[in-house]
Amino acid sequence: MAVYKKTYRPYEGALTSSWRRLLVIPRYAFEDLYRSKFLTIFFLASFIQPLVAAILIYVQHNAAVFNLVGAQGANRLISINVTFFMSNLGWQSMLALFLASFIGPGQVSPDLANNALSLYLARPFSRTEYVLGKMSVLLILLSMMTWIPGLLLFSYQGYLEGWEWMKTNIRFATGIFFGAWIWILILSLLALALSAWVKWKPAAGGLMFGVFFVAAGFGATINGVQRTNWGHLFNISYLIGSVWVWLFEGSNKTTNGAVFFRAPQGEELPLWCSWTALAVLCLICLYMLARKIRGMEVVR
Amino acid sequence: MSGNTTITFSNVSRFYGEVLGINKVSLAIPPGITSLVGPNGSGKTTLMNLLTGLIRPTQGEIRVLGIAPDHPEKLCRLVGYCAQFDAFPKGLTGYQFIYSFLRMYGWSNQECEQRSMAALQMAGLQDAANRPVAAYSKGMRQRVKLAQATAHDPQVLILDEPLNGLDPLARAEAIALFRQWGDKGRHVIVSSHILHEVDRISDQVILLSQGYVVAEGQIHSVRSEVKEQPMQILVRCDRPGMLAARLFQQDHVVEAKVSPDGKGLLLRTKDADSFYLLLNKVILDSGLEVESVAPADDDVNSVYQYLIGAEGATV
Amino acid sequence: MDSSVIELDDLEVRFGKRAILKKLKASLTGRSIGLLGPNGAGKSTLLNTLLGFHKPSSGTARIFGRDIRTHAREVRSLIGYMPENDSFIASMSGVRFVRLMAELAGLPHEHALERAHEAFFYVGLGEVRYRALGTYSLGMKQSAKLAQAIAHGPKLLFLDEPTNGLDPPARARMIQLIQEIRDRGDLHIMVSSHLLRDVEECCDEVLILKDGNIAAFCNLEEERRSNRRFLEIETHGSNNGDFLTSMEKLGCETAQGAQGRIKLILPDGLEVRRLYEVAAEQNVQIRRLNHKRDSLEDIFLKAMETGDAK
Repeated sequence: MAVYKKTYRPYEGALTSSWRRLLVIPRYAFEDLYRSKFLTIFFLASFIQPLVAAILIYVQHNAAVFNLVGAQGANRLISINVTFFMSNLGWQSMLALFLASFIGPGQVSPDLANNALSLYLARPFSRTEYVLGKMSVLLILLSMMTWIPGLLLFSYQGYLEGWEWMKTNIRFATGIFFGAWIWILILSLLALALSAWVKWKPAAGGLMFGVFFVAAGFGATINGVQRTNWGHLFNISYLIGSVWVWLFEGSNKTTNGAVFFRAPQGEELPLWCSWTALAVLCLICLYMLARKIRGMEVVR
Repeated sequence: MSGNTTITFSNVSRFYGEVLGINKVSLAIPPGITSLVGPNGSGKTTLMNLLTGLIRPTQGEIRVLGIAPDHPEKLCRLVGYCAQFDAFPKGLTGYQFIYSFLRMYGWSNQECEQRSMAALQMAGLQDAANRPVAAYSKGMRQRVKLAQATAHDPQVLILDEPLNGLDPLARAEAIALFRQWGDKGRHVIVSSHILHEVDRISDQVILLSQGYVVAEGQIHSVRSEVKEQPMQILVRCDRPGMLAARLFQQDHVVEAKVSPDGKGLLLRTKDADSFYLLLNKVILDSGLEVESVAPADDDVNSVYQYLIGAEGATV
Repeated sequence: MDSSVIELDDLEVRFGKRAILKKLKASLTGRSIGLLGPNGAGKSTLLNTLLGFHKPSSGTARIFGRDIRTHAREVRSLIGYMPENDSFIASMSGVRFVRLMAELAGLPHEHALERAHEAFFYVGLGEVRYRALGTYSLGMKQSAKLAQAIAHGPKLLFLDEPTNGLDPPARARMIQLIQEIRDRGDLHIMVSSHLLRDVEECCDEVLILKDGNIAAFCNLEEERRSNRRFLEIETHGSNNGDFLTSMEKLGCETAQGAQGRIKLILPDGLEVRRLYEVAAEQNVQIRRLNHKRDSLEDIFLKAMETGDAK
């Protein structure tokens, strides 16, 4: 009879590549997130709005259904135009804010709470890879909520309307894609930066909302008191809204931004100011991350 | 007036809700260095917190040099406490840390300044006194905690794992300091896991396990009271089997175990004196080559093994 | 084994203007290397630099021949690190955490899971491996740190205060584990500790730092093999004076040792047996007999004194 003893074996096999190692982090994060029923349901529920939008598009193109509904005369009840796509993006982006506030705080703070980061960095794994890995969790989920349904809606409409319509309105597609990406990047960076600096998760989540609403309120106060428009620089939803307007419409503006991301006409700031303000916000977040994500703390 | 030179526990119990801290503990601790030994979770920190008055007993009475912990104004002047945990008020420098706590005793500015500088001197931290405590290394933080505990010149010192994080030189210095205080007639109560150090420095020992006091007193007298256990001696030699055979011819040897590498014998005997004389004879008669002889028994480590052993441990 | 495990080549590390490590030069080849030194000598800085958390300001170091400045990633895939402070993710179970760490070190995910379980059994935490790390006791957390350090099969382990806060049985178990790892031969260890006894039991070579310089570097194995002529005995049953004088008459040097014991240096040619003859004549019991070599404590204290001269 052979008796086997549990012992330590050295490892002689192959090692994985850097890319696969980076993907380990999102894989674990997704497994953890999936365990939360609330998050899974919330995520699935965020597809309701695009679904409704798709039904509207279908209804527009189906006279039979129109008759069924009994709205013969109101042919162009809902026009599939700039406002339609922008408000779709606006709704999904607001939901993305909620999701980021739920998910974001739990990404980095558990690693910092008990000093596990030194173990991450004692492996062939750099700080950049760590941040990229964590960001990709948010980037993937938020993409699935924002521009992917948006582009699908655009393609569906294009399929029903024809190639010509798609070519004339290609700006919608680029607007959806780039507009969503700007928003997603800002959200992810902000969520990770707050998660790295604020240990208590509910506080970090609350701060996410705070940065949007409180700062917006602050900006509005400045506008009111100083009778100027510069307060809008503090209002992230304004900044995003104005950038979106430019992406979707270029110089001939007809809209006032999207729902939740209002950029009212007549109160505008030069576009480059919006871009700069957003860029500054990104840099601040990156700086906050660089300060906190380290192998060891050094206090002089 | 023995009431004023001992610390007494009379049938003290402390529960945290349903969880047991310590149960029915009665002790009389004389001056000198007393070590508290026991696994994590055995009640050492509870005992220390009871002594300093940070928590109150659920049952029973405690008197520290005649004063009950119900009178903190009197008790806290007598007692200095150095906790196990590495926590500080944020933003203070070493000097400010000691000074601010000293002010609470009501002394004047100069007095506090003097005492702070003296304490820092003793801990070897004069150069680092004006740097924030958060910037200190672990050893320096430990030393500043000790300095803070002793700055008001207390009669009773309660130190929870005071040597944790100190390098060998600092340990030796701290131990010399404890020895000094013990010799001056103060009560120094130290809790430690490093048993060979406990052996070297303590006058008496209290062993705790799972909330009960398992043994207390001086090491040698504790050992001799564990009568059911015969003396254990380890002999390293080249022919343990032959030695064992000779030993078994005597009545007093109870057990002999050859060590795994075949070069040693662990034996238990009821009569140590006869054994040693016998060993001497065997060496001279049969030319046995002895590498070392050591009583495996007479220290805290072995008493710990007997009374607490591995099952008492928490891991 | 001629190739060195760790080679320090004029390694210098600065924090701003202050030089923490000053041009260290050494070649460490033992199975198990101890790192000692007073607080502030630069031990943690040395470990952090070898791990790649700090950049050296000049000079370099090599681990298994790889330069830490140019091949940092490769070096880190060969190393396992057990930090001094708590290091864990409270919400994860033990196995999941070690598996994550092993995958980040480059193991494919199926192998990582297998090895995570093996590592837990090896360190003695088999029964609690599914529990969340936040619920572990201090001893368990230390063992879990060791498990995460060995799971990916490194060639060199850095253990920083491995017995910190452990009670006596847990300390004995940890030391035993370290000794087992050392005796395997395929895994080198560097132990940094303040407890001289731990280092004495676990290490073959010892590197002592002081003020950023190397104060001493010695091989404990050689120390143990020499000094067979030094004895420490404890007697009972006579005037120590009589026994001592007889010993001196035989040519031994004697001295009073700690705790009432006697230190003897036997002259060449005198066997231990003679001691016993004298003891039998005088009806003295020799209750304790030890070959005493320069213990690590003596070496350390000597290093601290001479270190000042450098």
